[in-house]
Amino acid sequence: MALATPNTNHQFEEKAASDIMQPVGLNIKFHAWMGLLTLVLMACLYAYYTQLRDGLSVTGLRDYVNWGMYIANFVFFVAASLIGMLISGVLGLLGFQWIKPIARIAEIIAVAFAAVAGLVIVSDMGRPDRLPFVFLYGRVQSPILWDVTVVTTYLVLSLMLYYVPLLPDLAIGKTRMNQSHGWLAKIYDILSLNWKHYPEQYNILHKAVRILLILIVPTAFAIHTVTSWLFAVNPRAGWDSTIFGPYFLTGAFVAGCAALIIAMYFFRSNYKLHRYITPEHFDKMGKLLVLTSIIYLYFNINEFLVPGYKLKEADAIHLHELFSGHYAPLFWGTQILGLILPLILLLFKPMRKPLPVLIISFFVLAGAWAKRYIIVVPTMEHPYLPKQYVPDEWMLYQPTLTETAITVGSIVLVLMIITILAKLFPVIPIWEIEEKPNQTSNQTNETS
Amino acid sequence: MIRFFIIILSSLLIFSQGRAQSDQWPVPEDEAERLSPFAFNDSTREAGQELYDLNCASCHGDPGEGNYANLDPLPADPVSPTIQNNSDGALYHKITEGRGQMPAFQNVLTPEERWFVVSYLRSYNDGYVQEVAKEVIKKGYKGLIRIMMDYDAGQNRMISKITGIQDNEEEPISNARVRLTAKRYFGDLTLDGEKETDSIGMVAFTIPEDLPGDSTGNVHFRIALTEQELYGSAKKDTVLKAGSPVMAPPLNKERAMWNTVWKAPVWLLISYLGAVLLIWGTIFFIILQIREIFLIGKRKES
Amino acid sequence: MNEKSQSTPEGNDPQKEARNKSRRDFLRRFGLAGAAAAAGGAALYSGYQYEKAKGKSEMVRVLTDDNRLVMVPRDQIQESKPDQAFLQKRGRKGLKGHRWVMVIDLSKCRNARQCVKACQKAHHLRPHEYHITTLEMQDGPNTAPYFMPKPCQHCDNPPCVSVCPVDATFKRQDGIVLIDNERCIGCRFCMSACPYSARMFQWQEPFMAEDYEENPQPYDVELNIPQAKGTISKCLFSADRLREAELPYCVSACPNGVFYFGDENEDAVTNGTTKETVRLSALLKQNAGYRLMEELGTKPRVYYLPPKNRLFDFDDQPSSYKGDNEEKA
Repeated sequence: MALATPNTNHQFEEKAASDIMQPVGLNIKFHAWMGLLTLVLMACLYAYYTQLRDGLSVTGLRDYVNWGMYIANFVFFVAASLIGMLISGVLGLLGFQWIKPIARIAEIIAVAFAAVAGLVIVSDMGRPDRLPFVFLYGRVQSPILWDVTVVTTYLVLSLMLYYVPLLPDLAIGKTRMNQSHGWLAKIYDILSLNWKHYPEQYNILHKAVRILLILIVPTAFAIHTVTSWLFAVNPRAGWDSTIFGPYFLTGAFVAGCAALIIAMYFFRSNYKLHRYITPEHFDKMGKLLVLTSIIYLYFNINEFLVPGYKLKEADAIHLHELFSGHYAPLFWGTQILGLILPLILLLFKPMRKPLPVLIISFFVLAGAWAKRYIIVVPTMEHPYLPKQYVPDEWMLYQPTLTETAITVGSIVLVLMIITILAKLFPVIPIWEIEEKPNQTSNQTNETS
Repeated sequence: MIRFFIIILSSLLIFSQGRAQSDQWPVPEDEAERLSPFAFNDSTREAGQELYDLNCASCHGDPGEGNYANLDPLPADPVSPTIQNNSDGALYHKITEGRGQMPAFQNVLTPEERWFVVSYLRSYNDGYVQEVAKEVIKKGYKGLIRIMMDYDAGQNRMISKITGIQDNEEEPISNARVRLTAKRYFGDLTLDGEKETDSIGMVAFTIPEDLPGDSTGNVHFRIALTEQELYGSAKKDTVLKAGSPVMAPPLNKERAMWNTVWKAPVWLLISYLGAVLLIWGTIFFIILQIREIFLIGKRKES
Repeated sequence: MNEKSQSTPEGNDPQKEARNKSRRDFLRRFGLAGAAAAAGGAALYSGYQYEKAKGKSEMVRVLTDDNRLVMVPRDQIQESKPDQAFLQKRGRKGLKGHRWVMVIDLSKCRNARQCVKACQKAHHLRPHEYHITTLEMQDGPNTAPYFMPKPCQHCDNPPCVSVCPVDATFKRQDGIVLIDNERCIGCRFCMSACPYSARMFQWQEPFMAEDYEENPQPYDVELNIPQAKGTISKCLFSADRLREAELPYCVSACPNGVFYFGDENEDAVTNGTTKETVRLSALLKQNAGYRLMEELGTKPRVYYLPPKNRLFDFDDQPSSYKGDNEEKA
């Protein structure tokens, strides 16, 4: 735990600080992008208004399939948010230094997805006005209460893991703020909490971050295990599985890695951070994606082979539907394009270069979303007792336009949060890069 | 194709056999000769129509419409000869006893109500001329019925003596049908079947050993004469400690996953609250640390 | 006879019918308070002159909520309606000393769906919204098809209640699993948890929403009326009727004697059609009664008697057999 020793590598420090602070601030591109997002969000909010007015009948959900796209999207969001824990928590605690430039991006993703995940759940509620009831009348036996607890805890921990290491950067940043951004300098001043780079302050910061990292590992495990229990506690074919916790958790790491790679690529090229986020990082993230995908594939094999071997009646119907029935195209598309092919391709070094790994990550992320849909919907379409005497459209689930718009709205919200955080504050920890000038500059030399 | 044909043929056969059976619904002679104790008129027909619509129409359909349910044997339309060729007593008997798919209405409709239904059915028969029972009045017991009950705890038997007082003279009621029932929440449970009094008006019922009573074993018993047209609604009630005490606890007494939060399993309460307190306690500690960072900066500055 | 009149199709306009019914219901449920008040009022008038002559202190008999007959000074009688708090408290508590149980005799069901209609009428549901429904069942490709009425099973280990985050659905001491739509947040976890697909959700404004607006009434958790948009609704074992010692709506509506209902503590069930009362244990023993999906450990309070010696033919192949799709094609 090396402490910052001021003025050791003054030149590098200057360069890094100005490079990283350069994209900070609101420019015309930011306004245009946010304007676009806001417009889309307004349309989605209107969709939500119609849902509030007419009830959940505006969705494709009915009595048999009562959970659909919203819940699938919720699971996806929780999954994507876990990357914050994997990068900072697991890899950070293990002492990997290369994650330092991308750790904050991972935390931004974690904060954005975890924050909106809560809203996604609210959009699925028939009576969102009664949300306070969860706190007033909460039953500790309900996995929903556990989920509310751990999602809140995880969001707070992620926010702290984002904010605490930001303190030195805020102090650095406020002195370098562009003239036109006086208000931002003021925000920096307030948020930096009198940070003056004193060794005592660094001491406390390192201690706090370490405790947070230790805390976030079990919390992140809990958040996604509990999310998997929302399904696994129900006696239904396709959900009635004991490996749902680790199955979801490893799937989350796959989705999170892909999301992080996409964000890394975007910030690297748009913020001109090639010196700090290097092809080396993409290579390593590619390898991490391979590792997580292999573990996920292993759980997939367990999840489908074991019931497929026994073919208990209800399981048989469910698997039949996935393998060769109505959901076969989506299922095989997800498994092959979103998991197996990416896994094989990423084994080759050229495929782990920034652009190929970006394209592969898009497939993985889309596959991850579709996989959640496949976990939620087909099981609900096949209850134990036959579906009869209901309108035809109740038999199968078809998401409506309104429902899709509300889901798109949640993704727009995530993008907005990421944009705002990444535009107002440095996306790479300046002070941590200063701590290790040699290593980072070596990497920079390699690439240039 | 041939197989299909055979299936149709054989099912037709079965069907016609079913029809054949339906034509034979034997009614004991004395039952068939039974006559209504009152004359049918517009008000009895009206009452009968109401009862018919409630209890019979869902299978027999609207009279004359032929919209009866497609069952086996077919429930006939009330206008059809299948029904109208029955005597009044036969109709009354069939309504009372039921058969196969047709439920018995003896516990649903009172004897009077059953005659109302017959009255309504006859309104679809133009050639019908009613014969009203005359001897019913003669047959009916004119005196006062007295029921005495005695509980034999040793043998768990209920013994009853039924006497009648007529012209200041007491006489045993023999050969009367008697029923012992235990009161249950939605109806009376018949115990040990229906019995007949002997020559001295005595009858004995064995109470089942495992008959549940209330928490102290009390059971509300009733002895009643079933031939209401003879004896009216003669009955006698008593509450006795003749049942086994039932002290079943409330179903939501135990701690369980499904119970209220106050009755959650203890291990769950401890682990949930423990984990929440631990993590949030630590979060609070870190907030204090962040405050410390702020204070250090302030202190050094001044 | 009153219960019968609710179970048969009488009018052409179901909505109007149901509305009338609701008013009748309303009167019936609050009849107690109403009658007491009316009697008091009438007596007050006649008593007015009486009072002039004789002075005040006359007492009247009044039946209280817990069925006690008490004497109250006439001039202290105040009109009262059961308010929501009272209905909630009563509904959550349940009836002491009972363990309700239902027995469904599959050999007698001919899919007349009178149970479904009576239930929908009582609980203000649309024709495709079910607390109870009948299913055309076939367990295997070569086994006999049969009809199966399926209400909520009111499990003793109810998976739906376990997962409820806000205690909106709960199990009472008498075994009934109720839903409080004043509490329900509409997360539908309970629907996902129920292996019997017994619950329904109010996806849109409820059937009688306009009527509720015109004639506001306190929410009765034992009847789940008024229904509410965005909340769960489910079979209640007609808790409101049990309170009045009457059989559930579906049970008394059946024309074929399919349903028995009673109290396990009394070891007695009463047939809804013939009103015959029999020993529960004997009925289950003699007919080899069973419960649905016993292997799930839900411990239902609904028993089924096997569809043996069925009284009704199953004309068509059911559309419902889930396996062997190829075979049919």
